[in-house]
Amino acid sequence: MFRSLKSIPLVLVITFSAVASAGPLGIGSTATPEMIAGWDIDIRPDGAGLPHGEGSVAQGEGLYEAKCASCHGLFGEGEGRWPVLAGGDGTLDTLHPEKTVGSYWPYASTLWDYIHRAMPYTAPQSLTDEETYAISAYVLYLNDIVDEEFVANRETFARVKMPNEENFYVDNRPDAQNERCFKNCADPKTFEIVTTINGLTPTGHFKEDSGVAANHYEGNPSAASESGISKVMNNTKIVLSDKATVGKGVYDMACQACHNPGIAGAPKTGDKAAWVSRIDQGMDILNGHAINGYQGADGVMPAKGGNMSLSNDDVINAVAFMVESSR
Amino acid sequence: MGKIYEPSLPKLMEAIAAEARGMKGLDRRNFLKGGVAAVAGLASVQIIPKASASSNLPPNLPKWQSHLGPGVVSKPYGEPSEFEDLQRRTVPWLTVDAASSISMTPLQDLEGIITPSGLVFERYHGGIPNVDPDQHRLIIHGLVERPLVLTMEDLRRFPSVSEIRFIECPANGGMEWRGAQMEALQFTHGMLACCEWTGIKLSTLLDEVGVKPEGKWVLAEGADAAGMSRSIPLEKALDDTIIAWGQNGEALRPEQGYPLRMLNPGWEGNTSVKWLRRLEIGDQPWHHREETSKYTDLMPDGRARRFSWVQEANSVITSPCPEKPLKQAGFVEIRGFAWSGRGKIRAVDISFDGGVNWERTELKGLVLSKALTQFSYRTTWDGQPWLLQSRAIDETGYVQPTLKQLRDERGGWSIYHKNSIHTWNVMENGDVFNVQIS
Repeated sequence: MFRSLKSIPLVLVITFSAVASAGPLGIGSTATPEMIAGWDIDIRPDGAGLPHGEGSVAQGEGLYEAKCASCHGLFGEGEGRWPVLAGGDGTLDTLHPEKTVGSYWPYASTLWDYIHRAMPYTAPQSLTDEETYAISAYVLYLNDIVDEEFVANRETFARVKMPNEENFYVDNRPDAQNERCFKNCADPKTFEIVTTINGLTPTGHFKEDSGVAANHYEGNPSAASESGISKVMNNTKIVLSDKATVGKGVYDMACQACHNPGIAGAPKTGDKAAWVSRIDQGMDILNGHAINGYQGADGVMPAKGGNMSLSNDDVINAVAFMVESSR
Repeated sequence: MGKIYEPSLPKLMEAIAAEARGMKGLDRRNFLKGGVAAVAGLASVQIIPKASASSNLPPNLPKWQSHLGPGVVSKPYGEPSEFEDLQRRTVPWLTVDAASSISMTPLQDLEGIITPSGLVFERYHGGIPNVDPDQHRLIIHGLVERPLVLTMEDLRRFPSVSEIRFIECPANGGMEWRGAQMEALQFTHGMLACCEWTGIKLSTLLDEVGVKPEGKWVLAEGADAAGMSRSIPLEKALDDTIIAWGQNGEALRPEQGYPLRMLNPGWEGNTSVKWLRRLEIGDQPWHHREETSKYTDLMPDGRARRFSWVQEANSVITSPCPEKPLKQAGFVEIRGFAWSGRGKIRAVDISFDGGVNWERTELKGLVLSKALTQFSYRTTWDGQPWLLQSRAIDETGYVQPTLKQLRDERGGWSIYHKNSIHTWNVMENGDVFNVQIS
């Protein structure tokens, strides 16, 4: 052992020189440009990070309607309680401020960055750079920030100025000043005592006369009183087929965001009335709509729920789960 | 709805007492709810008795003492007694989907300043990723001399620290800006937890990569479906930011960022990016969605504060509270938590009359910087109503403001950073209600 040590310093010298200069503790490996390029997805207001490629408002319209409108509404008005993207001009200093991309967001780069990193909600980082440019351009168009001829690319996008940019300033707290007073610090004559409104809060865990317990999630107050998937699964013994059992995993990952609360016209899983006519069409038609997308009277089903990484079998299994849970 | 009380303080307290008097049992529970259709539901009240326990009481031999219990490793990972009801809970209507929602810590059940890992409030923007630590990497790059990729094994080789720090969502209490809404402590203040965090100081990691002189900001990015990202100024990163893998003596829970998260002590919880996969050093902030569209403070004039990172001093009484009413007259220790994102708690005061007069409380146990701090006040309760408040003072001299003072600055439509003095109305029967005095 000791004899062989003599040769080690030579090896070490070679290794260290290859890494250029190691850090003080010499821990870790060099992050290669290829590794960094794969993960370095951030965009800045000065345009740093924007990739090559381009997308137009016109291209964005179709993409938006297929991939975004089921939650955000055809005109950015927001379906149900999903975020409103457009409008709200002149509301920020009122009692009902509406903070949209156009009325509030200070930088257009944030839109590109966020759409690319986190949207569609059920399929993050699935959009190409071109699709991201096009959808970003279309959302800006919905907010009257660019015209319908606008084509977004590295140069044009970094030049977009957002109307509310100048209205942001850096935190200047502490603001409210209180004193450490001990006697006669407030005038009870001026007291207005406001109490809670009964029934807004889940209190079943500590009040006998309360309605709901807060031990599971049901989307919104109206959903809590209707039949939702959790109630179906908790209260009814449903024996799922193997296909549907596999499909539940897909469902939890890719479908439940819309089909639990029933947003954008999506039939709620477990809601027999909503499913009966759909099931009557036969599984082929149901699966076809789920795989290829469907525009119905009530709303839009994006192809594969907007998650194109799902295989056709994944979708078919998830449909089996929904159908078996809803009849 | 609001009630306006005209008379002097003694008359005010008498008026509250008189209003409660003459009501029996559950009527009194609902007395302050002034006419809301609560009474109609009373007919269906069911009182479920606790499991019959009388045979275990003295002088009888308790049943659990008359035979052997389970042996070692009957539960390789221990769990709370079946008699405890310890749960994170949520208010379903607050958000549209569970994968981008929040649950709250049961502060009413906490004993001491450490929040058990399984009870720490949850906040996700894209659900909980199931990260395999062997395939997790942290990349540090940008304006650095040596861009590095680090495995979990690499990270554990660095000199480590363990620190007890609170973490709080800046929306904690946010539902109360417009009025008293939440009927429970868990929902008024439960976006709050305090743990022992173990990991590396970010300054140690930044030494290892060598930040170039023009590097002023750090982008932290998560490996979740939201790709959560926040810009952290280098000054904070070099001060007390921790890159943590440990929480309360074990690996982080998946909900808390397993296997690796950032922790920015005293700052809004959202900056403490979970499932941390990347740190980029830059010369300016990124202005990403969670620091522009969200986590900014719209002011009454229509302008907005950004980078409002600090969680200012706050406090709340945890016993009594709506979940833990007073059950017996006589001696009572009033207990609560205080915390400040600017450092240590210096003092906490308490008021029984809605903030007209105040008394000093005693701080109990550990008083740590940017950590939950317990306070205590011993008194007697003889069935008189109280408008109970606590007021924290931190080591910078900052005094927790009244609701009116905060609303005067920020308006009534804010979302974040509501740290005003909170009021519990203790009733003659010992029940406790959330009220606001303005």
